[in-house]
Amino acid sequence: MNRAQKIAWSLVITISTGVILSGITTAILYVKVGMPKASAGLAFLGIAGLGGFSPLIFRKDKGKVTFDERDKSIKRRAALSGFAASYLFVGLACMLPFSVLGPMASISVGWLPNIFGGAALSFFFVWSVAILVQYGRGGKDGNK
Amino acid sequence: MVTNELKNRIRRLRFENGEMTQQQLADKTGVTRQTILAIEAGKYAPSLPLAFRIAQTFGVSIEAVFQYEDKSDKDS
Repeated sequence: MNRAQKIAWSLVITISTGVILSGITTAILYVKVGMPKASAGLAFLGIAGLGGFSPLIFRKDKGKVTFDERDKSIKRRAALSGFAASYLFVGLACMLPFSVLGPMASISVGWLPNIFGGAALSFFFVWSVAILVQYGRGGKDGNK
Repeated sequence: MVTNELKNRIRRLRFENGEMTQQQLADKTGVTRQTILAIEAGKYAPSLPLAFRIAQTFGVSIEAVFQYEDKSDKDS
């Protein structure tokens, strides 16, 4: 498994853990105390931020060559997938309130940073999954 | 997919050239071992410069390393 795969795995694990935990906590708090306070459950999304330390944890690969044309094309396709996912996320985040609340309703601008953060999370999650899929998840196609 | 149509003889050529390891071939051609592995398995089609570098490493022509099969002709 090379460095990019290790970073991708750590991002998938931290983002999944953060999203699942915050989703469960927010849902429980919503049932118990209602919506304004229930958003405190989103604090668990901070776990996703721990994935940002992975480039510091995983050192550069040993060997004469650590990055070549295949890695470059894999990273380019992964970045494209990530951008597509974040674009889709922002599009859905804009359209859902319009569809659910109606055209005359208004929402707090406080949601805008959340949408930005969500777009970043969706980018990194899809980027990581695309990296892992293209490298073959460290199996037959990976360095062991 | 294009990669399925590109056959190669890298594994055979490695053994014919003093049982060269994937890592040695990777070092000589300036790529990672993973890339050599992917090319050998037919999962990755190398760029033309890399294909030439691999052929030069073995001292053969590019056609001796890679063979392209046009599947569309066979199907029709």
